[in-house]
Amino acid sequence: MAQHATHDTVPTGEIPKPNTAWIWKTFWIISAITALEFVIAYLMSAGTFRNSIFIILTIFKAFFIVAEFMHLKHETKGLIWSILIPMALLIWLLVALITEGSYIGEAVQNLIN
Amino acid sequence: MSTISTTQAISDSALDKPRTGTWDGGNEPFKASYGKLMMWFFLLSDAFTFAAFLTTYGLIRHRHGVYEGTPEAFKFSTNYWPIPEKVFDAFPGLHGTHLPLGFVALMTMILIFSSVTMVLAVEAGHRFDKKDVQKWLLWTILFGATFLSCQAWEWTHFITGTEEGTLMNDGTVFHGANLAMNQYGPVLFADLFFFITGFHGTHVFSGVCLLVWAFIATTNGTFEKRGHYEMVEKIGLYWHFVDLVWVFVFTFFYLV
Repeated sequence: MAQHATHDTVPTGEIPKPNTAWIWKTFWIISAITALEFVIAYLMSAGTFRNSIFIILTIFKAFFIVAEFMHLKHETKGLIWSILIPMALLIWLLVALITEGSYIGEAVQNLIN
Repeated sequence: MSTISTTQAISDSALDKPRTGTWDGGNEPFKASYGKLMMWFFLLSDAFTFAAFLTTYGLIRHRHGVYEGTPEAFKFSTNYWPIPEKVFDAFPGLHGTHLPLGFVALMTMILIFSSVTMVLAVEAGHRFDKKDVQKWLLWTILFGATFLSCQAWEWTHFITGTEEGTLMNDGTVFHGANLAMNQYGPVLFADLFFFITGFHGTHVFSGVCLLVWAFIATTNGTFEKRGHYEMVEKIGLYWHFVDLVWVFVFTFFYLV
């Protein structure tokens, strides 16, 4: 595909036609997911289930932005993994510290009572 | 004289021919240019910073009490964490209307649009279409500036607060928010709002500055002379990252 060429050659005169169908397709996917998030925010009552749906939809959106707009999907495997593996460690950080937050809350509550 | 000619000979052999060996700079790791690779790793480190902010938000939110009643009966109190859609329900020009997350939806769409115009600029750069690069860069600058203006309004509204205010524990009614006190909930709620959206806004601002510079360079023909529009691509990576961060801020600050 033309938009995925790593090296461009300077054209001699004619400017090629734009190839933008994939950009608009990605745009519609991201917009649709955002719209869906709002529908869920209005119609479902808050809770762990609704939050998990939000997080899954967010990861979907992140995938399309990083893979298509930032082009990572079309880079070498080495580059993809050097970005993704460090990011995966953050999931552990998030889970560990949120759990810790609940414990701190409990400890503070016990102290007051 | 002989030393000069020796230097000349070395430079001729070392610099004038393109390097091809594995260890003399001839190959590109990951088949990406040095500049793009550095941008990727900078963004990785920046992602750590934002992740630390959002993790802190998660920890502090779970450390505070949860509102137990029905959403309809919700009232602001410093005793529990507020429901975000009760805090962010105002829209410019529609005073008094309860529009949960309406304005933040608009801001999200503006940023997604700016991402699209940014890819269009990168795509035009691949085709060496100077006019199109200029056009799409200008649109991206416009959307970026609009987003920043929206954030300025959002901050002003958050700082000024509502007419009713909230009865604080010391018996006074407090309106709006600052770093030490706020009407919406625990002190740290407003602090995290200022730090997280402020840090993101600073990134958007830097992005707009870079885009303005890229627009001037495109107009001057700098990239055309250079033979590639890679600089637009690198700024594009940064710009999409800022959009990506907003996707996460939006979920963790406004939705959950």
